[in-house]
Amino acid sequence: MLAYALRRLLISVPILIASTFIVFIGGALTANPLNQLQARNPPPPPRVLELERQRLNLDEPLLERYWNWLIGLFQGDFGPSVHSNLDLGSEVIARFGVTFRLIFLAMLIALILAIIVGVISAVKQYTKLDYTFTFFGFLFLAMPSFWFAILLKEAGISFNNAVGEQVLYTIGDSSVYVAGGAWAEFTDVLGHMVLPTISLALLSFAAWSRFQRASMLEVLNSDYVRLARAKGLRRGKVMRKHALRTALIPLTTVTALDLGAIISGAVVTENVYQWRGAGSFLLESIRNDDVYAIQAWLLISATFIILFNLVADLLYGVLDPRIRYA
Amino acid sequence: MLTSKSRVVRSAALIAGAALALSACGGGGGDGEGQTGQIFADCDTNPNECNSVPADQLQDGGEVTFAMEKNIENWNITSAEGNVLDSAMAIKTVLPYTFYTKPDLSVAMNEDLLESAEMVSEDPQVIEYKIKQDAAWSDGTPISAEDFIYNWKVQNGTDCPDCAPASTAGYDQVKSVEGSDNGKTVTVTFTKPFTDWQKMWGSGEPMYPAHIAAEHGDINTPKGLASSYEWLGKNVPDYSGNAFKIDKWENNVALTLVPNENYWGDKPNLGRVVFRVITDAAQEPTALQNGEVNVIYPQPQVDLVNQIKNIPNVSSHIGLGLTWEHFDFNLDNKFLAEEPLRDALFTAVDRQGLIDKTVGQFTDKVKPLNSHNFVPQQDGYQDVVSEFGHGTGDVEAAKKILTDAGYTLKGDQLVDPDGTAIPAMRIRYTTGNQIRKDQCELFAQAARELGVKVNVQPTDDLGGTLVEGDYDIMVFAWVMSPFPYSGGIQLWHSESESNFGGYKNAQVDKLLTEAASETDKQTANQKLNEANRIMAEDAYVLPLYQKPTFIAAYDNIGNIRNNSTLDTPTYNIAQWGLRAE
Amino acid sequence: MPDHTKSDIDATAPEVPETKGTGEGTTVAGPSRTEREFTVAERSQAQLVIRRFLQHRLAVGSLIVLLAVVLLAFVGGALWKYNVADITPDESQPPSWEHPFGTDAVGHDSFAQVLRGTQISLGVAVLVALIATFVGTIWGAVAGFYRGWLDTVLMRIADLVLTLPLLAVAAVLGDVAGGSWWLIAFIIGGLYWAYVSRVARGVVLSLREKEFIEASKALGASDLRIIFKHLVPNALGSVIVNATILVAIAILIETALSYLGFGVRPPDTSLGLLVSDNQTAVSTRPWLFYFPGLFIIIIALTINFIGDGLRDAFDPQQKKVRA
Repeated sequence: MLAYALRRLLISVPILIASTFIVFIGGALTANPLNQLQARNPPPPPRVLELERQRLNLDEPLLERYWNWLIGLFQGDFGPSVHSNLDLGSEVIARFGVTFRLIFLAMLIALILAIIVGVISAVKQYTKLDYTFTFFGFLFLAMPSFWFAILLKEAGISFNNAVGEQVLYTIGDSSVYVAGGAWAEFTDVLGHMVLPTISLALLSFAAWSRFQRASMLEVLNSDYVRLARAKGLRRGKVMRKHALRTALIPLTTVTALDLGAIISGAVVTENVYQWRGAGSFLLESIRNDDVYAIQAWLLISATFIILFNLVADLLYGVLDPRIRYA
Repeated sequence: MLTSKSRVVRSAALIAGAALALSACGGGGGDGEGQTGQIFADCDTNPNECNSVPADQLQDGGEVTFAMEKNIENWNITSAEGNVLDSAMAIKTVLPYTFYTKPDLSVAMNEDLLESAEMVSEDPQVIEYKIKQDAAWSDGTPISAEDFIYNWKVQNGTDCPDCAPASTAGYDQVKSVEGSDNGKTVTVTFTKPFTDWQKMWGSGEPMYPAHIAAEHGDINTPKGLASSYEWLGKNVPDYSGNAFKIDKWENNVALTLVPNENYWGDKPNLGRVVFRVITDAAQEPTALQNGEVNVIYPQPQVDLVNQIKNIPNVSSHIGLGLTWEHFDFNLDNKFLAEEPLRDALFTAVDRQGLIDKTVGQFTDKVKPLNSHNFVPQQDGYQDVVSEFGHGTGDVEAAKKILTDAGYTLKGDQLVDPDGTAIPAMRIRYTTGNQIRKDQCELFAQAARELGVKVNVQPTDDLGGTLVEGDYDIMVFAWVMSPFPYSGGIQLWHSESESNFGGYKNAQVDKLLTEAASETDKQTANQKLNEANRIMAEDAYVLPLYQKPTFIAAYDNIGNIRNNSTLDTPTYNIAQWGLRAE
Repeated sequence: MPDHTKSDIDATAPEVPETKGTGEGTTVAGPSRTEREFTVAERSQAQLVIRRFLQHRLAVGSLIVLLAVVLLAFVGGALWKYNVADITPDESQPPSWEHPFGTDAVGHDSFAQVLRGTQISLGVAVLVALIATFVGTIWGAVAGFYRGWLDTVLMRIADLVLTLPLLAVAAVLGDVAGGSWWLIAFIIGGLYWAYVSRVARGVVLSLREKEFIEASKALGASDLRIIFKHLVPNALGSVIVNATILVAIAILIETALSYLGFGVRPPDTSLGLLVSDNQTAVSTRPWLFYFPGLFIIIIALTINFIGDGLRDAFDPQQKKVRA
């Protein structure tokens, strides 16, 4: 298993590097990192633009720039940002820290709800309950995430007005100042998390609950479950011991594979709720034509996702003894 | 931010208010019932004094949260990178400066810092500043000529070639800066007169402490200057030379100011001002409504303005500032190099109609602008556009100009006197700017009437597009400075890098140069307007209107008011305070 | 009872779990048979699928609604009295007979805008589905059929594309590409094929072990013949189902991209662009916010239901449970 993990990691490295090369060349050819400076009013003296061009290595040939970036990377240097004070490495990691807080909770909630709803839906197939779940599942799947987030925000404010107290917040991950000790701080953070977490979780929840329903149905249809029932085992026990456990296995892979999609979703959610995570970092970098920053973001997110997938794959092997890694 | 207790009180009042409104008139929204939403009511007639509250009617302390649309990436706002309006708005509150601009666009001396600032000689131009005796940085070091000298050296382009200042205008014309009377008197001698001398060391380019800079580089050598200048950009100021000081900076989240306890002047009323980073203006109204910020200062847009009008206990005001929108021709396009075509296109554009369909949707204050260098609120303003009929939307007149010049219409395609069909042109604007997109479409519609096809194409690289001249027509905005003379050279002189469309007129160049090195403002205005008139006749740039600015604040904040200049509403931040209940 | 119907059912593609990525799913036995019988069965299989689909009331209803929307967008858009570019004197008007969906600030008729947006959004979505399905199916089929090192390399590449946060990468590329709708479609399609290739590979993997493939091999059929005569037709069911759902996903991705400012750009418009342009209008000019959003939901929802119906039609195994 260790050999398998290592081999997978090793094969990812060249592909990862190849894709950074493509992104870098594409970005460097089309982006103009001096844009922000050139559009300033009053325009900066020509000398300033020249200094900036040097600082951002724009004078070097493209391939040389990429090569230097790659070399720098192995020394922990992600290259210069258009913001001269920014250390891209630590910044990207800090921003991902914020994002993962959001993602982790959203995934957890989505997963728990998805399993519950998926199982109920499967067991009570073709009942009113199943139809209701199915309908809402499909509805959430069909809703543009920011559209929903904007509406949810309005709802959150109405809720605050209704209870006459500031319970839910729409901006950021916490208040700048909170009076009243640890408990107040905790409720403050919680109040900031509710809306974005719901926004982000709903989408995954919808997809996963549909998936869980399908895999549960498949298991319930299988011969061994029918046999177990035929043997006279109690229904609850069959469900827990045989059906549910087996039906959960495919969900691990799906969850892992969806991490990329959730990070994408977080980009939108962070913008609506103004969290200063990796998503907003990416958007700012694209808008500023900050080529090195975009590179850093892609590299780090891809690495996270590859590792996460690997863990999920290994976990899959643990859960399902039929799978062997050769 | 308000304390949570007052939030509850406010929310309760809000619900009660809503219930009243419902029973009274079936829910009319916030049409200014009762006393709410009225604190800026007299700002149009009395821009400098509106919403004034005497200090004894204000609470002692309290907190206000202001939405800031960009993260602070560089702390040196005189540097090219740090010269960002949102950063300047917050950072200048901890730095000393000589002059600032009031809401009525008049320039005023900073009386907290200076006893006087006078021109003591016209030829050569000499300015003498007298600094208050007790003016000192928060660590006790007096604010002195040393600070003037340091900030001059890093911005003049010669003493420190690697300093990367935002602009060298003015500082590069200074021969010497000398201190006397323990450094409390500063004498500045110019090599050639600089009309806009009041802008120097002013609120747009405030002073950084020389004695602290000296700890981070030998400020007598170019290299030392550069390293100290860079240090100032990298580090959050823990020094202050103004009423507030920085208490806390959370990168990407918020900047907190608290009163500078060592300040020599009047203490600020508020106990804390938080600048909260909200990078998407669309999210600001909800944040304001939810009480997460108390003041916002976004670019107005029809929905945003109307949304805020419906929030109870919030007042808003639309002002007209120094930023102005305009259509620019690129004269490198050989068809646009012909004056009659430009003339006709500008004549066909209906500016009033364009305003009605864009910014006119949320305010009736905006009128067509008829000068390239002044706004109507300024002394020098003179209408130099109307006489040429530009921006009237008179299509018949436009057609006549073309016919007279030998252009013909073939079907609905315009053909120039040489028989060449005028090819399709591109009008460009900044991606995502809805109002500019609409302006472009309206331009295209007007051009179509003349037989010119114009395609609308956004750009996400405004700076690059302008510098490379990758456009035929461009719509964007310039910020008019309260100091217009050096600005005039920057924008219209044929040698200037930011005369993007390539306009060349020797007579205009001469007049512009003269206007900028004049010690008498009247003469300077006259020359600038004369240059402007020639330029208007040449139909190079069509000024559209002054962009509206928009402030919205909770009613309980006193002394806050709109300031549409680059000084922004934070110009009097020390006077802000919460009304006593 | 070796009758025809039985073998027909078995000849349908094996069921593939709906969410991307669970390649090696379940398997169903498929009997081998001769070429001639295959062609005969093929026709009746199609009929059977259609018949089963028609029994799925929700899917049929969805299909009707979707067709109505498509018709409205393409035919109605051409017939409607206002063009997208028309600037009317009515500014920011709420819905009326003159302007069923109201107007925006400049005076554009929103109905014309929404119809045009629907055309473009559907165009993007269908193009994405075609590109991703075409590339992904071939990629996955080749990987699954040849196994070995080729499989490893191909699937690692697909995995990598799969692991990238699609929206983010599309945003980077969309910013570079500059906003014409078919470029956006190529970008999304160019990232989404990896999902399809996983599914296709899974199907092929399970099929290639079947007796009828082995039989063809034994009879000396070439690889190409096996791939195109046996594998592709048998994998068609799941490919179609996936392509359908892809259309819905692509519409939502395009919407999110436009919201972030990296999707379709003027002078083109799309439903996503319309909603994001008017995101501040929720409470002040709701017609500008809700109508395009509603169209997105209707399209995505109906397509998902149709996909569901198709899945059931192609794979009737999972109908009833006796647990």
